Amino acid sequence: MNATQDRYIAAPGTAPLVQLKGIAKYFPGVVANQDVDLDVLPGEVHALLGENGAGKSTLMNILTGIYQPDAGEITIDGYAKQFATPLDAIAAGIGMVHQHFKLVQAFTVAENIHLGWSETPRLASARKLEARTKALAERFNLHVRADARINELSTGEQQRVEILRVLAREARILILDEPTAVLTPAEARELFKALREFTSRGNAVIFISHKLDEVLEISDRITILRGGRRIATHDTSDCGPRMLARLMVGRDIVLADMRQRPPGAAPRSAEPILRLESVSALDDGGKTALNDITLDIHASEIVGIAGVAGNGQRELSHVLTGLRRIASGRIVVDGAPIGAGDAAAFSELGIGHIPEDRLRSGLAPAMSVAINAVMREYKKPPIGSGGLYRSGAATLLAREIAKAADVAVPDFAMPVRNLSGGNQQRLVARREMRIAHKVLVAAYPSRGLDVGAINTMLRYIVELRDAGAGIVLISEDLEELLNLSDRIAVLYEGRLMGALENDKIDVEQIGLLMGGRTVRKEAA
Amino acid sequence: MLQGLRLQRLPSVQPGIALAMRALAIAIVVLAASIALLVAGEDPLALGAQLVSATFSSTFGMEDFGLLVIPLILTGLSVAVGQQIGTWNIGAEGQFLVGAFAATAVGLFVPGPAWLILPLIIAAGALGGVVWILVPTLARAFVGVNELITTLLLNFVAALLVYYVSTGPWRDRVGMSNSSTARITVEMPEFWGLIHWGLPIAILMALAAAAILAFSRWGYEVRLSGSNPSAAAYAGIAVRRHIITVMLLSGLIAGVAGAFELAGTVHRLQGGISNNFGYLGIMVAVLARNSCVGVIFTGILMAFILNSGIILQTQGITTSAVLAMTGAILFLTAIGDELAHYRILRAGSTRA
Repeated sequence: MNATQDRYIAAPGTAPLVQLKGIAKYFPGVVANQDVDLDVLPGEVHALLGENGAGKSTLMNILTGIYQPDAGEITIDGYAKQFATPLDAIAAGIGMVHQHFKLVQAFTVAENIHLGWSETPRLASARKLEARTKALAERFNLHVRADARINELSTGEQQRVEILRVLAREARILILDEPTAVLTPAEARELFKALREFTSRGNAVIFISHKLDEVLEISDRITILRGGRRIATHDTSDCGPRMLARLMVGRDIVLADMRQRPPGAAPRSAEPILRLESVSALDDGGKTALNDITLDIHASEIVGIAGVAGNGQRELSHVLTGLRRIASGRIVVDGAPIGAGDAAAFSELGIGHIPEDRLRSGLAPAMSVAINAVMREYKKPPIGSGGLYRSGAATLLAREIAKAADVAVPDFAMPVRNLSGGNQQRLVARREMRIAHKVLVAAYPSRGLDVGAINTMLRYIVELRDAGAGIVLISEDLEELLNLSDRIAVLYEGRLMGALENDKIDVEQIGLLMGGRTVRKEAA
Repeated sequence: MLQGLRLQRLPSVQPGIALAMRALAIAIVVLAASIALLVAGEDPLALGAQLVSATFSSTFGMEDFGLLVIPLILTGLSVAVGQQIGTWNIGAEGQFLVGAFAATAVGLFVPGPAWLILPLIIAAGALGGVVWILVPTLARAFVGVNELITTLLLNFVAALLVYYVSTGPWRDRVGMSNSSTARITVEMPEFWGLIHWGLPIAILMALAAAAILAFSRWGYEVRLSGSNPSAAAYAGIAVRRHIITVMLLSGLIAGVAGAFELAGTVHRLQGGISNNFGYLGIMVAVLARNSCVGVIFTGILMAFILNSGIILQTQGITTSAVLAMTGAILFLTAIGDELAHYRILRAGSTRA
């Protein structure tokens, strides 16, 4: 680290700014945090590293007074504290900048800075607020345009406003949740400079991230969380990317290997049945979400897509199932190119889709079980012929699907949302398996399910593979991916990195790829 | 006591409870109106009995009542059809007016035998309704402009258009009327007394719409698109195309209502011919929970309320009272629909 010359060196024996001891937080059926200790020293950038669901957000919500811990102590500057509300935490000098900014778009920067702040002068004119904002900006050396409206600003500028808002309230501990996820590299460098300056005055930053490179670049110490517990805290100078990756994802992986084919299963085909050739696509906001993706899916194989959610997973599953147009490249099914953006054509070709959010896009929650069950086959006889919809035949088919899914449905006319989450997911899975002769795209199929239901889901997927379908399994769960996939690729910022044969993979390598390190870069 | 109870919100409403809530809303409003009448020195029971007998025990009463049922079923159906795909057609009033306007144009200026002109009048009314909802439809389907506002605003344009032609260029110069056109030459044949064939046709249209929605592939796709557009897109359904057809159909039905009103009931175009039927159609649809069969019954109910207002007027009670009553029913129904989601639980009997 070359910033050592202006590092703040705390006097020996100085109490940590933040000291968490034995923090625990339980939600129904989930241990979000258990026995978490965390010391944050004055003058340091302390990185909090972990996968999704590792407990980083819960811990920070406790520190900022949004949640109350079920056990443990919070000590700030040597004094034990209890935060009943976020206001208490702000009064204690703790400020957080969330990943999704909490700014009023139609207000000016000055108005946002002064919103809900006890020191805002009553009856202040816009000009006065702007002058105060300018003074604050100079004091903290964060350049903002006081009179600009938020919706005129870039995301980097908006983040500066958020930070200034927190600092103006005399925060000494600044928590940043995935701050660079929305920034360009240049903006990220600016941010890092501002953070260094902030800590050089004896303040501290808690930096939440899963990106290894930037954690290594910005932090002084790193605490790794996994499964709600603290795994380790190290000085950054002792850390390397490989080691961090192992700590972050390297749980003891139970290799319940489901890759073995039973005798008589369909063999993996030589030619791909579905092929993406240099496909790029935009997200809903018009930004590039997928960048030059080439991916082959063969019959009777499972291709795992690893990566942290939000790196293009949603768009990839949309492109693969015809729900999203592509900006460039082409999609080839069985050797013939197919026009993207026509979901009906894709499903008729035999491409099924278990969507990531079944209630939002895989089901119509208020409609009956029968109507939802036949969503893929209502055009075919016996339900639909001659432009008709035969509800009797639909109920019969729904009964068949429910039976295969092992879901007890008392009444097929009742809304599908009355079923439990696991039952809905199994129903969707069975519905899609019926049409997925060629390919099944399964996005987070085990998300939100309990262990038994997860096992059933994975069994379904293996069953379909053995019947000869190619499967794209998008998941955040490395264990699941390693147990099922024949090949694994990692999606990072819209790029697909390596589609490695499962045998040649070690967990660290995937961890590195998920954190944005390419294999080549690491070897160099 | 109260601490022992708590509320649980259910995601879906049982249809029976929702209907009970509607009955309760009407009962509360009737009760409140009775109290108001009592305070005003009237006898609510006697007035109520008079309303029922005046409506149902004379041919006159039944005819007046029946003529009100026709437009109310149709405008209610128009709104209910729009709701199938999740759109609010607040513009049935305007589409009704333009339907009547287009029908008048044919009735006044196209010569020909009645068997030809009458279908032409109805077709013109349908087309008028479609034209009036076309821009809101395209704006909604392609740019996402909220149809609630666009359809509502076009109502005022339609009302002014009808006022203009009926007091200006199409004014009845022979009859020396200053506020309406001449009587059109053809009219809807009578079905029962003064009630024209619009009544059975309106009921058939409602039944046909219900059947198409329930038993056709198109209906399945529309219902799915209305319930969850992203699930419909996922199932490969062309949601936008369905929004366009359903909204145009909604306008068409309101336009036909206008043509029926003109050719069957009023026979000449005048300002105010719509009689708020378009707005009341929203109530008819809401009370029917957007069921196409349901609007037949709630249309009849609404006609009774309207007709009561006219009768009460002869007793020196202002029609505003009836408008207030209809508003109160809609208001209480909206509250009741929300309340129907809740169930009262005794604490300790179930665990969260």
